Amino acid sequence: MAPVPDPNNVGGGGGAKRDEATMKVPSKDPKKKDDKKEDDLSEEDLELKQNLELYVERVQDPNPELQKAALESMRQEIRASTSSMTSVPKPLKFLRPHYGTLKEFHQNMAESDLKKLLADILSVLALTMSAEGKRESLGYRLTGSGGDIGSWGHEYVRNLAGEIAEEYTMRQSEEASVEDLMDLVKQIVAFHMKHNAETEAVDLLMDVEDLDLLLAHVDRTNFRRTCNYLTSSAKFLAGPDDMLVLDIAYMIYIKFEEYPNALQIALFLDNMQYVKQIFTSCTDLLRKKQFCYMISRHGITVEIDPEMVADKDDRDMLQDIVNNTKLSEGYLTLARDIEVMEAKTPEDIYKAHLLDGRASSGPSVDSARQNLAATFVNAFVNAGFGQDKLMTVPSDAASGIAGNWLFKNKEHGKTSAAASLGMILLWDVDAGLTQLDKYFHSSDNPVLAGALLGVGINNCGIKSDCDPALALLGEYIDNEDSSVRIGAIMGLGIAYAGSQNDQIRSSLSPILNDAKAPLDVIAFAALSLGMIYVGSCNEEVAQSIIFALMDRSEAQLGDALTRFLPLGLGLLYLGKQESVEATAEVSKTFNEKIRKYCDMTLLSCAYAGTGNVLKVQDLLAQCGEHLEKGDIHQGPAVLGLAMVAMSEELGLDMAIRSLERVLQYGEQNIRRAVPLALGLLCISNPKVNVMDTLSRLSHDTDSEVAMSAIISLGLIGAGTNNARIAGMLRNLSSYYYKDASLLFCVRIAQGFVHMGKGLLTLSPFHSERLLLSPTALAGIVTLLHACLDMKSIILGKYHYVLYFLVLAMQPRMMLTVDENLKPISVPVRVGQAVDVVGQAGRPKTITGFQTHSTPVLLAAGERAELATDKYIPLSPILEGFIILKENPDYRDEE
Amino acid sequence: MLTVSVKWQKKVFEGIEIDPTLPPYVFKAQLYDLTGVPPERQKIMVKGGLLKDDADWSAIGVKDGQKLMMMGTADEIVKAPEKAIVFAEDLPEEEQATHLGYSAGLVNLGNTCYMNSTVQCLKSVPELKSALSNYALTGRSNDVDQTSHMLTVATRELFGDLDRSVNAVSPTQFWMTLRKKFPQFSQLQNGMHMQQDAEECWTQLLYTLSQSLKAPASSEDSDAVKALFGVNLRSRVHCQESGEESSETESVYSLKCHISHEVNHLHEGLKHGLKGELEKTSPALGRTALYLKESLIDSLPSYLTVQFVRFFWKRETNQKAKILRKVDYPLELDIFDLCSEDLRKKLEAPRQKLRDEEGKKLGLQPKSSSKDSDVKMTDAEASSNESGESSTVTQQEGASSEKGTLHMTGIYDLVSVLTHKGRSADSGHYVAWVKQESGKWIQYDDSHPSLQREEDITKLSGGGDWHMAYIIMYKARLVSM
Repeated sequence: MAPVPDPNNVGGGGGAKRDEATMKVPSKDPKKKDDKKEDDLSEEDLELKQNLELYVERVQDPNPELQKAALESMRQEIRASTSSMTSVPKPLKFLRPHYGTLKEFHQNMAESDLKKLLADILSVLALTMSAEGKRESLGYRLTGSGGDIGSWGHEYVRNLAGEIAEEYTMRQSEEASVEDLMDLVKQIVAFHMKHNAETEAVDLLMDVEDLDLLLAHVDRTNFRRTCNYLTSSAKFLAGPDDMLVLDIAYMIYIKFEEYPNALQIALFLDNMQYVKQIFTSCTDLLRKKQFCYMISRHGITVEIDPEMVADKDDRDMLQDIVNNTKLSEGYLTLARDIEVMEAKTPEDIYKAHLLDGRASSGPSVDSARQNLAATFVNAFVNAGFGQDKLMTVPSDAASGIAGNWLFKNKEHGKTSAAASLGMILLWDVDAGLTQLDKYFHSSDNPVLAGALLGVGINNCGIKSDCDPALALLGEYIDNEDSSVRIGAIMGLGIAYAGSQNDQIRSSLSPILNDAKAPLDVIAFAALSLGMIYVGSCNEEVAQSIIFALMDRSEAQLGDALTRFLPLGLGLLYLGKQESVEATAEVSKTFNEKIRKYCDMTLLSCAYAGTGNVLKVQDLLAQCGEHLEKGDIHQGPAVLGLAMVAMSEELGLDMAIRSLERVLQYGEQNIRRAVPLALGLLCISNPKVNVMDTLSRLSHDTDSEVAMSAIISLGLIGAGTNNARIAGMLRNLSSYYYKDASLLFCVRIAQGFVHMGKGLLTLSPFHSERLLLSPTALAGIVTLLHACLDMKSIILGKYHYVLYFLVLAMQPRMMLTVDENLKPISVPVRVGQAVDVVGQAGRPKTITGFQTHSTPVLLAAGERAELATDKYIPLSPILEGFIILKENPDYRDEE
Repeated sequence: MLTVSVKWQKKVFEGIEIDPTLPPYVFKAQLYDLTGVPPERQKIMVKGGLLKDDADWSAIGVKDGQKLMMMGTADEIVKAPEKAIVFAEDLPEEEQATHLGYSAGLVNLGNTCYMNSTVQCLKSVPELKSALSNYALTGRSNDVDQTSHMLTVATRELFGDLDRSVNAVSPTQFWMTLRKKFPQFSQLQNGMHMQQDAEECWTQLLYTLSQSLKAPASSEDSDAVKALFGVNLRSRVHCQESGEESSETESVYSLKCHISHEVNHLHEGLKHGLKGELEKTSPALGRTALYLKESLIDSLPSYLTVQFVRFFWKRETNQKAKILRKVDYPLELDIFDLCSEDLRKKLEAPRQKLRDEEGKKLGLQPKSSSKDSDVKMTDAEASSNESGESSTVTQQEGASSEKGTLHMTGIYDLVSVLTHKGRSADSGHYVAWVKQESGKWIQYDDSHPSLQREEDITKLSGGGDWHMAYIIMYKARLVSM
């Protein structure tokens, strides 16, 4: 704007005389310049310029007829040119010098249609002329004739929308009426929605806090992109706006009968009312089956009631799907297809022959520690396959080592060994109970405890009318042997995680407040209750745990297992944000030894998966303190950082960077937690930079840092068979071959990496990273909290806490089934997912894809799409079980 | 009468009738017929618990057509093995040590790594160990002084402790006696004991042991240490000015590898070390003259010790400076050309034999089928192992008279390396790298033994700031004739 000394000053206020003086300058000055420039202009342009100048003069003519004609012509010129906005359109350019003149004139005009017409033109001119923050374009628009907003072009509308947002916030603070603005908003939204600018419409509506308007304007062509934008922007909004946005998205999906997406959002909102509504509004049974598959993946308990499905047989079938009874079958189908049914031994995983010299010659005597590690590796690697080479070998082959593997474990090790059978037969309840039965008759308490735990693991995520787990475990809850009690309690916690089963609560709650119960039993009871009531905010359970915490003596508060009490409490509020506040208040009255720990745990659990930046800052501030004494609350703070930030990619990357910082400046207790936090952030998603960091830390001089780094290496590679991590761990196994504790960790990590022979994932996120399974997160978080004191828990006699991971174990598959739920094989393209939110047109959603036939494995960040038109998937999110319907329009090429 | 279906394992039994007036035990007996699972092992799940034998059907609330689930097997109940399994963790410390395959480390008592590494290197000589164990506790001969005796006993005890323990041993007793015997090791600096030259420690210790281990008979032959480590040199001293020539013999415990600009390899350094100039009064000239001394090896030891002369006294800085030059050394050393004519003649036949044996191993391989050669090879290995064993046996008997069966070949295998890291002899860090009987290399860094790869051992040749060989020890390869 250099040559023009801001014409905005003109006519802005009342100083008319001064205006006159300055006014001449702009009218003269540019002319001089233009004279020089005139040579450069083409004849056409020159003519246009002269015409426009003429119009400007005529507008100021006293004759209204002339005025009108001039305004009309000017309007024509402008409209004709605003279609393209690559550069400032010629008419606007030539009218620039006259903006001030026209403004002045407009101000002095009497109210008339002509004045409105002029206001329209001024509004457009203000697009390029108006100074920042003046919102002149909007001002003139409001006084103008209010014709079709789109006729002035896209850029104009966009600019107007921006000004409205500003104006709106200003008026809000002044509590002025916004009605006139809202009329305009409606016009703009309608225009945007029609012109593929859904994102702008949504932005504007969010600014003016009236998203409901959207419902009226979405149609079949644009609702998908609108909802896409809504759901992904929800991640960055502060509460309660995010809920509002998702609500709108839900309503739009319902409006267009896009039920799978609606269900996704209902699950995200944890709104059972919505879930029910989806079932009642959808009439297609097949689609309902697909919904049930989605619910079962999320791991929540939903009763299909007669309102949702009328027919009893149909209801039973749907309930079966929700109860996950088909999971084992589907998983084995995948395994057979990929040809990994052959059981693997721990040695197949260790691959000691690839290491030169060192440790290759195994010790001649069994080491209990190493056998225990082998038990876990065997359990994780063969999880769900129903066969292995240590535990399920028929007993008549007991002559060799195999049959007696159980007794190759020492004391409490036998618990984990017996329970591993439940893991091997994961999800296959019938076979699992049959195999575990023999241990129920053992007189050896650790074996019995293992059998109980095994039942719990076996039933993880599977519900049944007969409630076998409850029936079997219930009577051992009050056994006199505390190891058996723990086995039963933990088994129930795993089997009924998220079920909010009242019967279990009434039997577990008394333990918490039983003065005679040993601390470990109380700790596991609190944990199990936390799991069963995860994210429920159940008052009564919270009360019991709070009392249990208050009853603990000073010495007990120092025990490593006491950490499970606050954790159990925290799990009740997992992801429930503000709901935790009352309990957090109460926790301030706790003994100071546990107070801060409790505070951090509650905070981190309540905001887990929300990506709340403020909470991340709070937690970071906690980590920044340098404590003198042995305070332990910074560990959960670091973990909390990861829990809060893990939901969304950008926040996740930031958290990884912050953790690097914390690692460098933090005290030892923080450094020990950082690897675990990294492990949580990238669980089953081996990012190379995190892998490198962890690899570095795995050689740390502080053995606890090294241990957590090693475990985390396992976690980030869990179920991926990642060759690089496998190699790192193999080298670590030779590096630490002499340190039994570290070697144990390495072995466990190796088991993680090859979990389910690479068919499983631990990621609590599913449905394209939108949904967070609360039970899965609960399982992982529990393990990580246990890892904060590795020596007394996992390396001590409570190693079976490793089995809490079973809550997060899910096949990372896409399995297509036909209308009778029988697996069918169809070609699919699998590739890296591309973020298409807010992109115009119909962009490709995957890149670098390969074509496979189902069932296929999906790695972290991958997405699948059908490569055939023969079938129509019943859910747009191709993960887990997908029901395919034949496409009626499909014509065979031949 | 109720009709229910029972699910057991993967089977479903339809239409089983229940008479609500009879106790559930009767129902279980029905199931026993169907499944073969004895009633006491049946677990039938009803809402909220297991079906008890004496429960009341009406209280359980089983409905007509309900599906029940039964668990239970007729399998044998698992029994613990009769013989309890012994775990490594349960074993006493000594037995755990044997499973590791190498002995414990030594605690650093404050700049005692020079001593620790020396002890670890010497401990790898089994013959020395057996000689020490033969050393009677009280049987001190009169010509050995009290402190030497105590040091010898302390050495024996320390070796014994190392073999028995899993965890690092604290060599306090040994250190005290060592300092008593050699007060120079008690030098203090800033209230701390100073770092010392490992070579000095090595030499002094060996000398002491050789004194006290001399058999009471005090004949030259029975000096065990000398038999193991002693190298006899025959030198020709020649004066160029006067043309005088004399020859002398001497016995040393180690060869020196001199490092100059031309020396890149151990062999060159050794040659260099065997040549020397000295000034002495020439009787012919009646004044001091320059003599050339050229030495050759006259007899070979079982263990050949080579010291890299890496340290020299630097006047300007008043400290022992270090030569960082890289000097390669082989895992297999042949010193044939350093031997005297007489010795060479003696060595020729055994060397020929050794070559033949090796040739046989290699030569057979390409000709015959793989399976065949495998067998031959194992044969050959077995025989060589046998000879190796017999050699140690004979050596342990301490008799050099049995050399009729085993002969020196002039070829030596590397068994231990004592390295130094740092810039001067009185500072830095000493570490021992010892080859075990199993063939594995162990690095003894004070209290931390760790496995090493053989190829990494030859990388200790210097040329940087990494550990570099200072004293290395070779074991003679013997051949039976």
